[in-house]
Amino acid sequence: MITVDHLTKSYGGFTAVDDVSFTAQAGRVTGFLGPNGAGKTTTMRVMTGLTPPTGGSVTIGGHRYRDIPNPGRHVGVLLDASAQHAGRTGREVLTLGARTMGLPSSRVDEMLELVSLDDKEAKRRIKNYSLGMRQRLGIAHALLGDPEVLILDEPANGLDPAGIRWMRGLLKSYADRGGAVLLSSHLLHEVEQIADEMILIGRGRIVAQGNKAQLLAAQGDGGTLVQASDNDLLGKALAAAGHEVAVAGAGLRVGAPPAVVGQVALEAQVALVDLRATEGRGLEDLFLELTADTQREAVPAGAATTQGGPR
Amino acid sequence: MSTVTPDAAPRGVRTLDVSSTPKVPFSRTVRVELRKMVDTRAGFWLLLVSGLLLLAITAIVMVVVLANDIGITANGWVQVMTVPLSLLLPIFAILSVTAEWSQRTGLVSFTLEPHRLKIIGAKLAAVVLLVIGTMVLAAALGAVANVVYGGLSGNEVTWNVDGSEFFWTVVSQLLYFLMAFGLAMLILSTPASIAVFYVVSLLLPFMVYGPVYALVSWGPDVLPWIDLNYAMAPLLGGGGAGPGVPALEVTGTTYAQLAVATLIWVVLPMVLGGRRVARAEIK
Repeated sequence: MITVDHLTKSYGGFTAVDDVSFTAQAGRVTGFLGPNGAGKTTTMRVMTGLTPPTGGSVTIGGHRYRDIPNPGRHVGVLLDASAQHAGRTGREVLTLGARTMGLPSSRVDEMLELVSLDDKEAKRRIKNYSLGMRQRLGIAHALLGDPEVLILDEPANGLDPAGIRWMRGLLKSYADRGGAVLLSSHLLHEVEQIADEMILIGRGRIVAQGNKAQLLAAQGDGGTLVQASDNDLLGKALAAAGHEVAVAGAGLRVGAPPAVVGQVALEAQVALVDLRATEGRGLEDLFLELTADTQREAVPAGAATTQGGPR
Repeated sequence: MSTVTPDAAPRGVRTLDVSSTPKVPFSRTVRVELRKMVDTRAGFWLLLVSGLLLLAITAIVMVVVLANDIGITANGWVQVMTVPLSLLLPIFAILSVTAEWSQRTGLVSFTLEPHRLKIIGAKLAAVVLLVIGTMVLAAALGAVANVVYGGLSGNEVTWNVDGSEFFWTVVSQLLYFLMAFGLAMLILSTPASIAVFYVVSLLLPFMVYGPVYALVSWGPDVLPWIDLNYAMAPLLGGGGAGPGVPALEVTGTTYAQLAVATLIWVVLPMVLGGRRVARAEIK
């Protein structure tokens, strides 16, 4: 649905977005991941016609954004929830949007209900809103025109855990009904649970893309975290079988897939307490590693593997 | 459209059918922009204060005129009424533009309508409607005050509003609003735009141009070309340049001067500002 084609945006000598190409498909949630300042927001601003690109192009459903008539009816956009007039009420913001798009005011009530802003909150001025409430209002605004495409920049920012779960369900069901969702985040765990597809961007360039399995396969991890009634015994058995073993928390980290580790445990007659693939940790490692040279803070190499277990 | 390579169309990519969606009609954009001018606390208070100022000035003038037994005519009332309007209402024109940047609402406005000049056009239409609306209101209030004055003073009520003078009063209000609008687009900052507007439209003419006009020999030759106040003075029946200045005659030069001053303070800011708005990156 959204096609980004060799997009480049530079400011003087600084290249904010460097030859970026990807697609966000209908019926799927596409996560756009990267550290702060990686070029996510700039890409999204070019998408919605707010920033002219230096090179390349973006089309949404085959159209340039500015060629879409009454774009609010086709593309729901939330770029910055705080970019609202502090002196307007939440209801007024939605009313202005509904008027512009030519929607009945009943749609405003529907959207307020959808994002759980009650009557009293809707009548308050935005300057008295928490960031979470602004996000809810922004999502309501993006969904006003019942669009086929959603473009959301850091929508989970400021939401409490319950709010994040609510948004996850909302976007999932939206995609299940055939909509295309592109959402950006700098937090992996916010995205990995809902995104069907992930685009990892660092310093203006795409460093990896694909679904979770593809991303992990590309990294070639396939390790196991295991805990046994007798870790020492299992460790020796695994080492004897030629596998790499390291102590990790209360258990062991093994350089072999869970099936192999289970087989060794059976043969060594050790009871297992916990056995799982290192997937989650692997993805986070991958994310940090791929974007490491663009991080402000240096990530100590290997620190994540030796300390603590997976979540 | 760039050339599409065969592998550039992965599965699941669908097109958006926009054929049955009409564009947002201009009239709707204008209505939304009008609403945006008054739906904030700033807009509400500005309108209220302007209205109260209008009433207060009417009351003060009424008291002063009655107490000192000075005669006042309909024409006098019109001149009184335009003062509060020209003082406060140009801020509407400025805020209507700069709020999109200072409050960052442009992010929403310009995604709902990516054709930015259409929004600018709608804002301009809204501002012009506001000028006309307030002028009608002021004229009505002036008429009422004139009748009340006649009743209270026992003097004969004089309806001596000169058609052409009233027309030029409306034009001058409009030009100042457009100047405020153009400067706002050029500067895109609320406080800076307001400051520049008042310096150019009020401070300079009274504090600087006044003495220059009266004391420097080339003053009367130069100032009407570069300042709207002085350019319009003859058309507004002045004398408006200060006390002791004889009534000015309207000649062909007057219109040329008005055209030049308008070019400098209205057309130029509008064109340059319009370009800036159309090209600026909205953040």
